[in-house]
Amino acid sequence: MKQHPLCTDTEQASHVMDMAIPAEMKQEWARLQTRRHFLGRSGKVLAWAAMASLLGGRALRGDAHGPAYGQPGASDKDQFKLPNFAPKAKRAIYLFMSGGPSQVDLWDYKPGLAALYDKDIPDSVRGSQQLTGMTAGQARFPIAPSHWSFKRSGETGTWVSDLLPYTGRIADQLAIIKSTNTDAINHEPAIMLMNTGNMNAGKPCLGSWLSYGLGSMNDNLPTFMVLQTKINTHEDNQPVSSRLWSSGFLSSEYAGVGLRSAGDPVLYLTDPDGVDREVRRNMLDAVNDINRQTYQELGDPETNARISQYEMAYRMQTSVPELADLSKEPKSTWDLYGPDAREPGTFAYNCLMARRLAERGVRFTQVYKRGWDMHANVTRTLPLICGEVDRGCYALVTDLKQRGMLDDTLVVWAGEFGRTVYSQGGLTPDNYGRDHHPRCYTTWMTGGGVRTGITYGETDDYSYNVVKDPVPVRDFNATILHCLGIDHNKLTYNFQGLDQKLTGPTPASVVQGLLA
Amino acid sequence: MAKGAKLDFNQDVQPILAANCFSCHGPDPEMRKAGLRLDLEESAFKKRPGHPDAIVPGHPEQSELIKRIESTDSHHLMPQSPQGEAKPMKPAEIAVLKEWVKEGAVYRPHWAFDKPVKPQPPATSEAAVWGNNPIDDFVLARLKKEGLKPSPETDKATLIRRVTLDLTGLLPTPAEVRAFENDKAPQAYEHLVDGLLARPTYGEHRARYWLDYARYADTYGLHYDNSRDIWPYRDYVIRSFNANKPFDQFAMEQIAGDLMPSKTLDPLIASGYVRLGVSSNEGGTIPEELRANIARERAEAYGATFMGLTVGCAVCHDHKYDPTSQKDFYALTAFFNNIQERSFNNDRPVWEPMVRVPRAESQDAYNRVWARRSELAQRVRDLHLQQRDLVGKWLASRASLPQAVSTDKLMLRLRLDEGGGDELKNSAPHPQQASFPIGKSKPQWGETTWLWPDFRMETSTRIQLGQTGDFDTNQGFSSGGWFMMRSAPNYTSYAESGTLLSKMDSTQHNRGWDISIEHGILFVDLVNEGSKDLMVHKKADEKEPEPKNAKEVFQFPTPTDLTAQDLAPNKSKVQKELEKKSQEKKPAKKEDKPAEPKPPLDTTPLMAIRVSTLDPFPVDGKWRHIFFTYDGSGKAAGVRLYVNGVPVATNVVSDTLGQATIKNQAPMLLGMRSPDENPARETRYQDIRFYGRAVAPEETRRLPFEDYVAEVAGKPSGQWSDDEWHAVSQFYFDSIDKEAKDLESQIGALDAQLDKLSEGGALTMVSWERPSIAYAHVLTRGIYTARTERVEANTPHFLPPLPAGVPHDRLALAKWTVSADNPLTARVTVNRMWSEIFGAGLVETTEDFGIMGQRPSNPELLDWLAVEFRESGWNVKHMYKLMVMSAAYRQSSKVTPALVAKDPKNLLLARGPRFRMDGETLRDVALQSSGLLVAKIGGPSVKPYQPPSVWEQVGIGGSDTLNYEQQHGETLYRRSMYTYWKRMALMPDMDAFDAPMRDVVCTRRQRTDTPLQALVTMDDVQWVEAARALAQRVIKEGGKQPEQRIDMMSEILLAHDPPPQMAAVLEGSIAQMEKHYTADPKDAAKLLDVGEKKSDASIPAPELAAWTMVASEMLNLDETLNK
Repeated sequence: MKQHPLCTDTEQASHVMDMAIPAEMKQEWARLQTRRHFLGRSGKVLAWAAMASLLGGRALRGDAHGPAYGQPGASDKDQFKLPNFAPKAKRAIYLFMSGGPSQVDLWDYKPGLAALYDKDIPDSVRGSQQLTGMTAGQARFPIAPSHWSFKRSGETGTWVSDLLPYTGRIADQLAIIKSTNTDAINHEPAIMLMNTGNMNAGKPCLGSWLSYGLGSMNDNLPTFMVLQTKINTHEDNQPVSSRLWSSGFLSSEYAGVGLRSAGDPVLYLTDPDGVDREVRRNMLDAVNDINRQTYQELGDPETNARISQYEMAYRMQTSVPELADLSKEPKSTWDLYGPDAREPGTFAYNCLMARRLAERGVRFTQVYKRGWDMHANVTRTLPLICGEVDRGCYALVTDLKQRGMLDDTLVVWAGEFGRTVYSQGGLTPDNYGRDHHPRCYTTWMTGGGVRTGITYGETDDYSYNVVKDPVPVRDFNATILHCLGIDHNKLTYNFQGLDQKLTGPTPASVVQGLLA
Repeated sequence: MAKGAKLDFNQDVQPILAANCFSCHGPDPEMRKAGLRLDLEESAFKKRPGHPDAIVPGHPEQSELIKRIESTDSHHLMPQSPQGEAKPMKPAEIAVLKEWVKEGAVYRPHWAFDKPVKPQPPATSEAAVWGNNPIDDFVLARLKKEGLKPSPETDKATLIRRVTLDLTGLLPTPAEVRAFENDKAPQAYEHLVDGLLARPTYGEHRARYWLDYARYADTYGLHYDNSRDIWPYRDYVIRSFNANKPFDQFAMEQIAGDLMPSKTLDPLIASGYVRLGVSSNEGGTIPEELRANIARERAEAYGATFMGLTVGCAVCHDHKYDPTSQKDFYALTAFFNNIQERSFNNDRPVWEPMVRVPRAESQDAYNRVWARRSELAQRVRDLHLQQRDLVGKWLASRASLPQAVSTDKLMLRLRLDEGGGDELKNSAPHPQQASFPIGKSKPQWGETTWLWPDFRMETSTRIQLGQTGDFDTNQGFSSGGWFMMRSAPNYTSYAESGTLLSKMDSTQHNRGWDISIEHGILFVDLVNEGSKDLMVHKKADEKEPEPKNAKEVFQFPTPTDLTAQDLAPNKSKVQKELEKKSQEKKPAKKEDKPAEPKPPLDTTPLMAIRVSTLDPFPVDGKWRHIFFTYDGSGKAAGVRLYVNGVPVATNVVSDTLGQATIKNQAPMLLGMRSPDENPARETRYQDIRFYGRAVAPEETRRLPFEDYVAEVAGKPSGQWSDDEWHAVSQFYFDSIDKEAKDLESQIGALDAQLDKLSEGGALTMVSWERPSIAYAHVLTRGIYTARTERVEANTPHFLPPLPAGVPHDRLALAKWTVSADNPLTARVTVNRMWSEIFGAGLVETTEDFGIMGQRPSNPELLDWLAVEFRESGWNVKHMYKLMVMSAAYRQSSKVTPALVAKDPKNLLLARGPRFRMDGETLRDVALQSSGLLVAKIGGPSVKPYQPPSVWEQVGIGGSDTLNYEQQHGETLYRRSMYTYWKRMALMPDMDAFDAPMRDVVCTRRQRTDTPLQALVTMDDVQWVEAARALAQRVIKEGGKQPEQRIDMMSEILLAHDPPPQMAAVLEGSIAQMEKHYTADPKDAAKLLDVGEKKSDASIPAPELAAWTMVASEMLNLDETLNK
């Protein structure tokens, strides 16, 4: 496996006792080394990285919010041997398509529907499904065939909509899942379910589970970063919220950290006007000096942890601007990602940034792209949003591949549900709307651990029900964890007496057909 | 464990059993393996055919339980994961279980479910030299058991800083520190504590914690995440703490203030607690799903805060560890399910029920009327409590007994009480058709109760009633029933339209008759030939335009005269501008929209009778009996409309039917006029009737209730169901009992006065109980559509029951919560107080006192405190005083590595509490030390500095919290508890310091230490500005010499002079900084320009800049950030 120069993973970093850190920290390190859960992670240096990282001392001391010292439940961490098996992917990038992309216009090719224009979708297909409050009262459910043609792409001959010409070029590298399905029919519960495995608030998201379970791979950037794509006024941008990157009942250290395209890339990162690096260094030296005195006086280990966090903050102040500085990217990068990528906050820019984060050892990056919620005006809006997203997806996957990183980086593209094949509101030959559709939608994965060049699962002739190989959200998440070397049944956290896990209480299974 | 001591089941054994065994051998029957249940004594010893005995007391070697956990056969070995993998127990745990079986396998009830008994404080020899109050006796005994000793008392400076921060959330001033240090009186510390408890900042600080427990926020938390106006609740909490309101009163007011007699509005404001959870108005929301989620959230919040139980674990199944059954959980949700409200909120900042808080100047007058109203309402409640006696007396007196309505020509009677199945029964004596099939889209049964559990049509439900009601113009007929109009999200009163009942042929110019509602106005039509465009309702997917004079009418306690302004989302200026612009643009965009097929206007002449009511119905979610009679005259005058049995004024829209026929072949339909039409959305129905005659006015009066009550009264009252009792007593109080009727009319008059007296006040959301019985359904796996058993509101079965004879409503729950028999409330509450002061609860899991919660580190102390709390009259200040007066609290917090290793979290208290302060306190301290803090209590939440595009990044267009509009002036420097709390995007500085989102209840915050926190305190404009103001303060007041200024800064922040080593570092730093800023005055100027407060121009810029950096150093010290 090729080692990335900036990725300080297990094999390369220097030994903790050789590092320029306070003696007290070394003592703490020595003490911690004797703790089984600590060594349970793969090796001491990874653990050091965790100690110095955002995970901070807390993860090491094992006193995240939950079962306490010497109490039942605390034993869980001892059994925690992650990764559970050799991971294919070390890191993941999740391109989240908020709002619910229309599978029938993008991926789920149903040429037979053209003949059924404006015919009612048969009752037998719809069954007794509870619809959203928006179309439940609709008298008719007229079929709206896709306005766009599909083309066969790549050697696999995968059908891809004309709306995604760039993504079509990488079709051979994707595992396209046509049978993803969810239990929720409205945005809030569905987006929560997709991101946290539960429709109600309070549960940790995928990224937090990964941070908690795998820890950091670098010592100057957060483990889990979140990028928002700038919103456009022509789209109906359903909201997102910090709930989606929240750590729930896990310690809040595992929450996603926003990497912003406007203002400070990380909140409060930039020194105030009139404070240069030298002043900051001097100020920190004074603070650390006095804090060391405080430690000597009071002996509180938290004081030492604070010293190391202030140092980490200082390092972030250097590493993050370096990360956000794209001036050294070669022309080939811009040729690949296209002109949009030069504008901070666009989807293409975020894809490029996601690659840079991956290079620097960020474990999990989630890019949110909103605007897929098209209850009306699909023919006007869908091309616009596809135009924003298409090239970035292609460029990211291609870039990772060119750099040899695709083998150990998992890339996921998914929304929270699909859209109805019947039209919401008026149907005309030129336009239609589509309501939320939970029973089937298309997602894709590629990279580490994923069997590529396949289409997984099938839907019926109406792109309404899954007829083969359904992938419920919990299986989808179990598969993501698997690619990262985690058995979803073993990445647990004892909260309120239950071994909580991302996939929830209903049995979930890894979708073997998606694995390389 | 000490040698010779017997094992304590609760402390030693149960945690091991729970952690290892209960998930398969615990309370949840679904998960139970091999029929073995180990959480209960009686089942653990039960013989199971075909299985060896799990536990043979005294004989571990014969006990299968022990054999299994020691087995070397991995298939045999227990415990196992749900996937069947063996997860061996630790040798120490196995040893405990063996010892326990050997000792006789004695079970004890779970500690927290046993009522606390006040233990005698333990007497130890050391108590003579250490300790100030009983708390210390318990702490000392516990330390002794562990072979530990308490630490010496901390110095006075540290103590005053610690206690001032703990009681007020602010620092002591240097003058206060000096005064305390110089006060050599033995009572000096107690005087200090008493003084702090009397400060208004005490109430603010306590309220700040309580708002986490109550999940208070300024937005409703989902989708648009619009503003929610409920800050008067926050101010109520502050007021209550400052007035030292007894906690039982405080708790009851929040749970059921609307049901309590009171002299002020405060209890009603307090009842807003119930409604603080998240809500939604997402377009596609399914109201029942939201309703189930909201009730669930409330029960979980109540469970965590008042019971200290994770009741939410029983949403899907019986709790796996605690005895909380699924039925217990849903019975608990029922208490919170019976509020006169809609689940969705129409994206408004306030939604019913709400109240207007009078302005200060009218408060006294308001309260006088309020007290009177409350007294009358209490008398009504008292009467209702005697309902069984009063109704019995009435029926026995045989005076004005209920009279049935003649069933002559009653052709259709749909009671709609089937509760399920595929058909609806016609219970009329001479039915034309005996039953009607329900289509494939099933209705919702039994969500609420009226005469009986109700029936609601989903938008896709279709009910055809055959040719019943096929009458002609010259025949008299009557029809109607009970209806409850209920909007779906995004539909307001004026959109509340649809047909209730019809026999009309839409393919034949709408020939026939119907009764419908439009914009709250009722219409009865008898049609021969109608104009299509006049008659056809909007299709479902078209949004109804808002009629110009549409006005909503509200019910008490909601003011009846609310304006659109009152209900409009609180949009910022930016948004208003943007919306104005987009409105202007709109016409140009029209061609982008998919062309809606617009048929030409149908101008067919109208030959019809159309009669309507004059006034729209209020949007109140109330049941109404709607009925019309027609006399066969062919004239509009022959149509009469009745609401609740009373004739209502009508308007004749059309009177052109003449003798033209209205007969048609179309089926009679419930809830719609034609099968492809939008039905009356979300409407409930009961007791729908059709008479083939014009029912006489005298009879219509009896239709709503009396007819049914006569039917019930025909049975002996001993056989009446609770619902029948409810119907009869409602009739009795509305129509028979003179006193009740009189009281109600007096109350109505007072309501009007209250409305007037509260004019101009702030609106706040409250609770208001429905008159009906509080029910809920047990939901299989928590799925809102999967209703099973219907349960009445009740408290969990394993805790003391509610007293007999009281209605099971929130008031009963409130009283039960603070009753002397309740084993949990006092313990849970003192435990949270303890965790605020000492950093961790005696039970660390403040939200979980159940089987899986932590065992108390000092159970006797917890029980002593709990009983002391109750016996003191739930005196909150008394408890805080006890805690801070203890010697345990006053210890030095110096710690040795050995002690850290033994007790890292300081649960045993061999040292004083020291921990990083919460985000709010940190910011307040920064503002206070710099002199920027504005001391003003209460009022609407404020918007101080926030980095750009924190809200904008996540929000949705149209939300009133899409743009953060920072305020200016003093709002920048208010205490942090007043900062606007947006749930979907927390204030990022608070977020960094572990503030919860408050979308679910939080009874203990995490306390992390991250680099993001360092970035806040070093770089946030609020902290930089505070540093500069602090620098300015010490330059002006501290003296000329750097040492003097450093001393002053240290005195302000740390309450002591800096030790020499520290002073040396700071003096070195100021020299360095001065050099830098003197060399680079531009940098100095830039630094001084941070923040909106202008810096003092009389101080040379390099000097002020340098001191600003030193002040920032001081603000970032570990010692500053810790209490």
